[in-house]
Amino acid sequence: MEIPFVVEPRKDTGLNNSKIGIWLFLASEVMLFGGLFSGYIFLRIYADYPWPERTLPVLPGLINTFILIGSSVTVVFAWVSLKLGQWRKFQVYMAITIVCAALFMVLKGIEYNAKFAHQAIRLDDYTVVEGHAHPQGGSHDYHAPKKNFNISAESVQINLSRVDDAYYEVMGKQYADGGMVLANKLTLNDGEVFEKGTAISKELIDRAKVDYLAAAANNSEIDIELGREAWAALKPKFPGKRYYEAVEGSKTLSEVVSAYTKELKKHRKEDYQTTTPNLIFVPNTGSASITVNPYWGKLSNPKEGDKGTLKLKDETLISGVTGDSSIALAIDGIDFRHTVMKAEEKGIDPAAAVANSWLLKDEKINKIWKKHQLITSKLKVLLEEDGREPTENDIYRINWQEIAGLQETDIADLEAMDYHDILALYPGDVEGFAGPDHKKIHYPEVIVPREQVRFESVFSPRWNTYYATYFTITGLHGLHVIAGALVLAYYLFFGRKMFEQRPEWLANRVEVGGLFWHFVDLVWIFLFPILYLM
Amino acid sequence: MADSPEAIKKHIKLYTLIGAVLFVCTLLTVAVAKFEFLDFGQRGFDSVDAIIGLLIATFKATLVALIFMHLNHEKKMVYWLFGMGLFFAFCLMAIFAFAFSDPIEFQAFFGR
Repeated sequence: MEIPFVVEPRKDTGLNNSKIGIWLFLASEVMLFGGLFSGYIFLRIYADYPWPERTLPVLPGLINTFILIGSSVTVVFAWVSLKLGQWRKFQVYMAITIVCAALFMVLKGIEYNAKFAHQAIRLDDYTVVEGHAHPQGGSHDYHAPKKNFNISAESVQINLSRVDDAYYEVMGKQYADGGMVLANKLTLNDGEVFEKGTAISKELIDRAKVDYLAAAANNSEIDIELGREAWAALKPKFPGKRYYEAVEGSKTLSEVVSAYTKELKKHRKEDYQTTTPNLIFVPNTGSASITVNPYWGKLSNPKEGDKGTLKLKDETLISGVTGDSSIALAIDGIDFRHTVMKAEEKGIDPAAAVANSWLLKDEKINKIWKKHQLITSKLKVLLEEDGREPTENDIYRINWQEIAGLQETDIADLEAMDYHDILALYPGDVEGFAGPDHKKIHYPEVIVPREQVRFESVFSPRWNTYYATYFTITGLHGLHVIAGALVLAYYLFFGRKMFEQRPEWLANRVEVGGLFWHFVDLVWIFLFPILYLM
Repeated sequence: MADSPEAIKKHIKLYTLIGAVLFVCTLLTVAVAKFEFLDFGQRGFDSVDAIIGLLIATFKATLVALIFMHLNHEKKMVYWLFGMGLFFAFCLMAIFAFAFSDPIEFQAFFGR
């Protein structure tokens, strides 16, 4: 059957099938990205933390903009070539378009990779420090944990209804290595006995879990049965009464039923089974060192040497003495804006709040801050000539260029220098293409004790709403780039036959693919200034 | 749209020109954000910079839509479809605005 309107337009709409299809799709895309942009705008306007403005390295974004604009031109040229019946030219232009798409995604990958390797910590006093986390305990092994919770465990309590296989798989080895054994004798309902001192094992936990769940199910079944019996016995005695209405003095119907159920239970004691909801293990050596990914649980008292409890997300409780859970951070960014915001909220002098911050107790960082204050004072004088003043960003944020550029310069030398001469010392955009390069520049390292950490994350969607929207919108846009490139590549590699038989049809298809590609470019035209420059 | 080969050939120059304008506008957007002497309004990012940046972006997007996507001479139906998309996108934004201006957020609404 011949499909109508694949080439010639329908009379009522004036459009062929694919054209109307793509515009319907693009209209839905406008709404999708429109909604996401709206989300971004309102998250930014109502943000309860200083927004990280102009925080992304501009160069990759700028190059990507050029790439997308260039590919928009080549895709339209590819279509023109088809219209003019020039297959070879079409191939060249389309190939360039697809290479552009690939380049775009490579740059995006470099950017994302830099973000995921970049650590941020919000300190207890709301100072934000950024940098690269080094392995804990001064280890030189690159793959060693960088921010684990460490605890010298004196007991491990496993919650049998919540214990999770994925957690136990990783933790189990540590428990076994630490010599964890049963703290108390365990008798199961089928009579099997595990003596005190039995070594921890998956089999033991699974056995106990099955036994506990079966016993709990059995007991609750009896409870339900007796509850029903009680209601059936008592309801006719108090006709028309609701459960919350008083029936015997001040006692409600439901209270009377409960009391009766309790009586019934006394006669069924032998049917109830013993339930052991938690298993407690202790190390046979006194203590066992346990290390846990910080996203797996919460450490109640993170101060090293204090008694602490580590609660995993599967309700496993590891109690003992908190070990070194600090984060060694090579600092490439310091931001006091949140400290200032919080101080203002509390009516405290922001300058004093910054001066008293934990971070500035470190001599190296204090030196950097003093240099920064000097630079800000020079900037202030310079701006005053134009009737302007430094922004909060200028005053309270130290970026990686400043830390890297002024490492070797003494504060006394800076005093004698002009503001613009100081800026000339900073590394350029190319050196920090996708952010600070820790392989080339050695940044000052600070050990941040865990009790000073309010929140920590790499620059992932977890860090703040800015990065959450950044990754959502650019990620979705990236998927559009990939999808568009696949469609265009299909025309390039499988279009020859159609070009020979129905060239008009292929031209229509390419036009429609091109329309989608232009839309992808159009979205990026807004994304680039909004995410990178504002 | 004009689909004859002659008419299309004429458009090639226009497409190249628009591409060049888009490149220049992109550089301009970056310059406005980066250079002190092009920083209008207060120092650093402020509403003036947001307006300028978005105006340039809107100009670029309009060029792409009008020339590359041929919206300068399309059929009525296409304008309806795209227009409806834009209209509902603004409606979505309005819904966000209503959500954020929910009086329950303001202490004055229920008293302190």
